[in-house]
Amino acid sequence: MSKFSHNDLIVILTAIGTILILSRIISEMGRRFHFPIVMGEIVVGILLGPTILGTINPDFFERVFPKDGNVSIAFDGLVNLSVVLLLFVAGLEVQLSMVLKQGKAAIYTSFFSMLIPFATGFGAAYYFPQWFGNASESGTDIFFAMFIGTALAISALPVIARILMDMNLFKTNIGMLIIASAMFNDLIGWLIFSFLLAVNAGEESMGVGYTALYILGFGLFMLTIGKKIIDRSLPWIQTKLSWPGGVLSISIGICLLCAAFTEKINIHAILGAFIAGIAFGDSVHLHEKAREIIHQFVTNFFAPLFFVSIGLRVNFIENFDAMIVGIVLVLAYFGKVFGATFGAYLGGLKIKKAFAVGFGLNARGAMEIILGTLALSAGLISSKLFVALVIMALITSLTSAPLIRKFLQ
Amino acid sequence: MEFDLNKLKKRPSYPFETIAVGLAFSPRMEIILSEAKKIADACNAKLVLIHIGTKTKEKEKSLGDILFRNNIEERKIKTIWAEGDVVDTILKLCKLNIIDLLILGALERENIIKFYLGSIARTISRKAKCSVLLITSTSAQKPKQKVIINAGADHPKTMHTINTAFYFAKHTGIKEVTLVHEVHAPALAMAMADSSSAPEVTKLKKEYTEEETNKLHSMISKCDIGNLKINEKIIKGRPGYAIRQYSETKKADLLVINSPDTHLTFLDRIFTHDIEYILADLPCNLLIVHSRV
Repeated sequence: MSKFSHNDLIVILTAIGTILILSRIISEMGRRFHFPIVMGEIVVGILLGPTILGTINPDFFERVFPKDGNVSIAFDGLVNLSVVLLLFVAGLEVQLSMVLKQGKAAIYTSFFSMLIPFATGFGAAYYFPQWFGNASESGTDIFFAMFIGTALAISALPVIARILMDMNLFKTNIGMLIIASAMFNDLIGWLIFSFLLAVNAGEESMGVGYTALYILGFGLFMLTIGKKIIDRSLPWIQTKLSWPGGVLSISIGICLLCAAFTEKINIHAILGAFIAGIAFGDSVHLHEKAREIIHQFVTNFFAPLFFVSIGLRVNFIENFDAMIVGIVLVLAYFGKVFGATFGAYLGGLKIKKAFAVGFGLNARGAMEIILGTLALSAGLISSKLFVALVIMALITSLTSAPLIRKFLQ
Repeated sequence: MEFDLNKLKKRPSYPFETIAVGLAFSPRMEIILSEAKKIADACNAKLVLIHIGTKTKEKEKSLGDILFRNNIEERKIKTIWAEGDVVDTILKLCKLNIIDLLILGALERENIIKFYLGSIARTISRKAKCSVLLITSTSAQKPKQKVIINAGADHPKTMHTINTAFYFAKHTGIKEVTLVHEVHAPALAMAMADSSSAPEVTKLKKEYTEEETNKLHSMISKCDIGNLKINEKIIKGRPGYAIRQYSETKKADLLVINSPDTHLTFLDRIFTHDIEYILADLPCNLLIVHSRV
């Protein structure tokens, strides 16, 4: 492989600089209309990617974002690092004790908001794979069906938290119920997805039994002994080392080591990062300020790179299939809203409040997009289905707040 | 043992009409009994002594000596000797005797195995249907000055806990109490990370603090505070852990908290429940108010 040249460095620095500045400008414009930040970042990706720039000026697009060569490899490395860190910060907010603390309502809501969309997605993809453009000659693909189930079952804690904050519902009982259930959905969703990625890794796959065993073993170790070690070390890290440099480098260092470890044992790196995030985030010793700094570091530098990169790799116009988008949207709304509403109702909420919970958990946002991107890279889904998932993630996030409001009025 | 549960239902958490003491015949038994006598006298309550174990001459003599040294007249108290599972038997006897407050001695910190398996005092604290006062070794016999009440404003039990704590404070000569409200907003950092300007973040945090302070004011205004001096404090952090740390930092003499809502299990020690942060390492004496609501 050739050395990383002077010109390569200029290209990648220009690309990153342009991505960061443009995505900030567009996202800030969108923020005025209460659009999620991730939407602005995806729009920038579409503008800079094959959809717009690549169509208008293919030569320029190829020069700034080349598909092959050193710049492409370096950019891929950055995007992979970004997704690992995004999963780390997602894990940072998962507090399992919160689900238990919220009691019956949270347990029912978490369970049914996971089970019904998963069953809906799995059933549809298993019996009607052609709906998703996945009519394979080899018959029904159980992993594909499981992926669709997981994609429909996952929620997006960051966008849900933002919506609740904007609606001043954050500290209400209903807000806490939605947050707790979203945490549970995220945890189970990412565990299932890591399992799917690992068993779908072709020759490197260890088989279903070993994969499940390794995932469980790693999760149990990190959430018991690993968590205890982190818990004991954090006070020392936060008081004896430079602030906030100490906690920032140690936490991200541990996240990357865990990610490397899970990748090494042929489970995807995201699982290591996610579980490391839970182990850190669940520690009572992690200062609120440290948590904020880690979030800001990741969400303002790595998140734009990742979400813009989505638009850079897929042509959204060419891969737009109205039928797939429609089916994904119908299944997503039906499964999640019905499941979460049913769970909340069983948990003792009145029907209108239960619907508000249902629409609150329906926001898929960034998590769905990350999941879709990883599935696309792993060859689990087609570009058309990926575009449908991105559109579904954005529409569910945009409609969540007005629909919650409607049912709480 | 038959008992009428209806007598317990809706029974107010105070006044303390009947106070029980769990006797373990440990070296600290005298200190705990002396403390219990003071509280019983202050609250004009009947004192019930409970020992689960074989009744022997030595134990009877030892108890008699302690009662004598502490001016506790045997005819004015009830002593129950029973055998069986310590936790279950004490809990049953408390129900049977309509105990309002159960006083137990407890170590500040249990070793990790005992904590996960459950020591007697802590297991009773998790399950009792009456208020429980855990007296730690170092805090016994100190004058009680600094009292901290966990005033979780959004919980229906909190008003009962505050009123019970005020009742206890007034009867035991405490002059000043601090009402502490823990603010915990998981995922808020995540929600604010990418799309909040600095003034927005400051404003939001200020609004949250003001909202909680107003809730505290509103609760205090509904209480009979008498001559007590009341302080208020909003602290940020994980519920249970934050107030434990605060009590330790402030060198509190007594921490008053709500009883747990459900029966706590082993799982609550793995995915730590709020109260478990306190039970794992008691910062001072702990009064767990069971409001029976």
